[in-house]
Amino acid sequence: MIQLVILPILQIVVIAGLSPLVKGFINKTEARFQCRRGPGLFQPYYNLMKLLRKDAVVSETASWIFTATPYVAFISVLIIALLVPVLSSTVPANFTGDIILVIYLFALGRFFLALSSLDTGSAFGGMGGSREMTISSMAEPAMMLSVFTVAIIGGSTNLSNITQAMLHYKSLSPSLMLALAALAIVIIAEAGRIPIDNPFTHLELTMIHEGMILEFSGRYLALIEWASSMKLLILLTILVNTFLPWGVASGFTFQALIISFAFYIVKIGFFAFLIAVVESSLAKVRLFRIPNLLGTSFILAALAIITHYIVS
Amino acid sequence: MVEHLFIISTTLFASGSLFALCFYKWQKLGNTISLILAAIASCFNIVIAASVLLNQSAIRFNFPLHHAIIEYNFFIDSLSAIFILVISVISFIASIYSLGYTKLYVNKRDTRFLGFNFNFFLLSMILVITANNALVFMIVWELMTLVSFFLVIFEYENPLHRKAGFVYLFMSYICAIFISVAFFIMFSYVNIWTFDFDSFRYAGDIMPAISKNIVFFLVLIGFGIKAGIFPLHLWLPLAHPAAPGNVSMVMSGVMIKTAIYGFIRFYFEFLTPCPPWWGIIVLTIGATSAILGILYALMEKDIKTLLAYSSVENIGIILISIGLSMIFKSYNLTALSSLALVAGLYHMLNHAVFKSLLFGCAGNIYYSTHTKNIEQLGGLIKRLQITAPLFLVGALAISAIPPLNGFMSEWLVFQSLLNGFDIPSVIVKVLTAICGATVALTGALVATCFVKAFGISFLALPRSEHAQHAKEVPVIMYVSMGLLAGLCVLMGLFPAKIMMVINHVNIDLLDVNIARAIISYDWLQTDTLQTNFSVVSTKSASVFGLMLLAITVGAMTLINLSFTKKLYETWTCGISPEPRFGYTATAFTKPFRIIFSNLYRPRLEIKTTYSVFRYFVKSILYVSEITPIFEKYFYAPLSRYVLGISNKVRWIHIGSVHIYLIYIFITLLISLLVIRW
Repeated sequence: MIQLVILPILQIVVIAGLSPLVKGFINKTEARFQCRRGPGLFQPYYNLMKLLRKDAVVSETASWIFTATPYVAFISVLIIALLVPVLSSTVPANFTGDIILVIYLFALGRFFLALSSLDTGSAFGGMGGSREMTISSMAEPAMMLSVFTVAIIGGSTNLSNITQAMLHYKSLSPSLMLALAALAIVIIAEAGRIPIDNPFTHLELTMIHEGMILEFSGRYLALIEWASSMKLLILLTILVNTFLPWGVASGFTFQALIISFAFYIVKIGFFAFLIAVVESSLAKVRLFRIPNLLGTSFILAALAIITHYIVS
Repeated sequence: MVEHLFIISTTLFASGSLFALCFYKWQKLGNTISLILAAIASCFNIVIAASVLLNQSAIRFNFPLHHAIIEYNFFIDSLSAIFILVISVISFIASIYSLGYTKLYVNKRDTRFLGFNFNFFLLSMILVITANNALVFMIVWELMTLVSFFLVIFEYENPLHRKAGFVYLFMSYICAIFISVAFFIMFSYVNIWTFDFDSFRYAGDIMPAISKNIVFFLVLIGFGIKAGIFPLHLWLPLAHPAAPGNVSMVMSGVMIKTAIYGFIRFYFEFLTPCPPWWGIIVLTIGATSAILGILYALMEKDIKTLLAYSSVENIGIILISIGLSMIFKSYNLTALSSLALVAGLYHMLNHAVFKSLLFGCAGNIYYSTHTKNIEQLGGLIKRLQITAPLFLVGALAISAIPPLNGFMSEWLVFQSLLNGFDIPSVIVKVLTAICGATVALTGALVATCFVKAFGISFLALPRSEHAQHAKEVPVIMYVSMGLLAGLCVLMGLFPAKIMMVINHVNIDLLDVNIARAIISYDWLQTDTLQTNFSVVSTKSASVFGLMLLAITVGAMTLINLSFTKKLYETWTCGISPEPRFGYTATAFTKPFRIIFSNLYRPRLEIKTTYSVFRYFVKSILYVSEITPIFEKYFYAPLSRYVLGISNKVRWIHIGSVHIYLIYIFITLLISLLVIRW
């Protein structure tokens, strides 16, 4: 029973609490790469707090879709936080769903964001929405195929079961490596990072995700920003806890959770660092080069599945 | 008992048809009566289907109309019952909806034929599903084609509609030829002089492989035309938009499902056991239809054509599941086969519900704006305040967004695809994985397509006078659509109930009961689906969502109690916002036009006219269109070829009756000789 109450709260606290820090960490590292001092690690928290306290300006053209969107985006990510194993391989809402539900819940948030981008009647929003939907459409097959690979190896599409299976999976299979590489590219696309999308820009030519949320302000913007940073953390969590589930607690003891938390921080920190490295060393690719990149990811994922069938 | 109900409902439909014809002066009254009769008849049919499904006993009955060859016998097993159920629910709602929608035509044109054909159309679909005799089947199948053809050309003064009607009729006849030849081939292997389906059942055991394969392809093409699979979909995006709103709702929602019924009857009953490659072909065709259907839907600006193409896509998804089920069955993995079949039938039910909802809402848009072109709409969410959320529900459901019904069937399709790893053949394993990716891509494209459909037509500022002055439709129209939207939600939240109903088909058709796999958890009384791969419960996910929403809203309020929203005009770089600043459908899908340019072969033309200097642009004309490659590279050469041959043999048409009689005589002689030897 205690598991039913504490675990969900713990997961939401970890995901919602740590996600701005991950963003801050990436920003700080990138600033260091650019020989800047950069804003502090906790700057994203201050930004969120500032935005949450502010009033909002809403376009006259906008309808109820516009005001509902931040909540839909935020809540859908929170539900996902309950479906993904974070510290323990037991998931609070284990019976509720699996990775397919996770993928489609992301789609729920995206659907509403894209709608709200059209809602204000400005060209920037529509442009962002159109691009975001394009990229996510291209990313979806690659994501599904890499998920299929782990699902077939783990014998389930349930993330908790996959993690448990992976904890006991001894061999280092080539298909997992391929799927990992494929998923890494997809995550960069889904989270809107360089080289797919530049999260720091407000330039017509380059913005994708930022273009969609251009009209949001105050509390609404805070919710969306928070949701997008949580999305990045969740995607990284899925990556580390399904492919590299070292240290994930399989039970629910205090000690195991502490160890798991330490491992988690290290693993997420490593991948966040990797993102910072990638973002500092690559330029954003042109919009119509993105399909090539995601196509590569798709081929890798397809190879992963074929390898699995041939090797096993 | 059921037999009586069946006769009553048939009589009601028939009398509804006749009533519509009766009142020339009071067409509105006649129309209303006929539609109400159709609605009542549909209720009777719902009862029939429910009683068959609940009692789990197939029912057969003969109409005592004695005839030399044709026996009018009908048979309702659980498979028929599922289809009757979905047809009746949709026809009930469509009939109510029509009560409002036909106001569009009152006093403008003769609505008597609308009511007459509409009733017969609904009746013929029920008869197609229940017919238990090949000849009866063909007769009612043709009746269905014919009355729906009249409905398609209801607005006959529009040449486009006439063309649509012609293409529809033409394709339908090819379809009928293929099916009837399939029946005749099967008949030749049944030694009893009867066209009864009962003698066809398990005809696969006695038929040699070669004729089985021929029948397989005949049926695939025949029913494939009706279902609208690629590349036989030609008529579908023409005919569905041409028909009046209430009719296209039924046509796209359920009429194309009669072909799915045909597939299942043939492949799971008549032609068993089937080789694995049949399933692979059906699977591949399904995947192709799904992806191409949605890619063409993406480019559409006419909302009803968009929905029609999306039907092609959904039929593809259904065929993926059916193909998968066939593959599993041929490898004797019956439990997995039934899972895939359940996925397919679940998607069939879902598609009927949300596609009818979307077509109904498109009808509402047409009713209030008199345009179907979404580029001319915009801002409707503030004008059609009830239609807008209904359309949104439909759009979310068709995009497989949880917790709505589309997600549940898509999830089942994914689960059955994932179970493809149980199949011993590596090619099939990889194929199922690739199909999984195809379904994922399709799903993402559907979401994009419906963001476009909803966003461009309902959001931003109105782009034309029509949209500017749109008014909400009559109550009956959105109430009936509300019922469908409610069904979308319920079928998403209680999937186990739906699956239990579909499970009866498994018991009948595959001799498997997968009820144990569909279990319920106690906590939160969640309706949970369990396959041997995973569990999902959208109901508890929604409960979590609502809880989290309450917490979030509460927390937000606590942080900033004096939160205010300030309304201000959208920032458009200093100019006051105009409708033409908003994104259009063409612009929204431009990236796809570039990425998939190999398929679309887009043609772009920009004409700029200048006044005085090059710096002062007077007007810009932007023309962008895509090449329909199947029409251009498949149908156009084919029709040229056929016309060429017809030109060459035209000389035999002399115009003299005597010569024609000789032709008949010679044909008869040859046929007799062929049969004797």
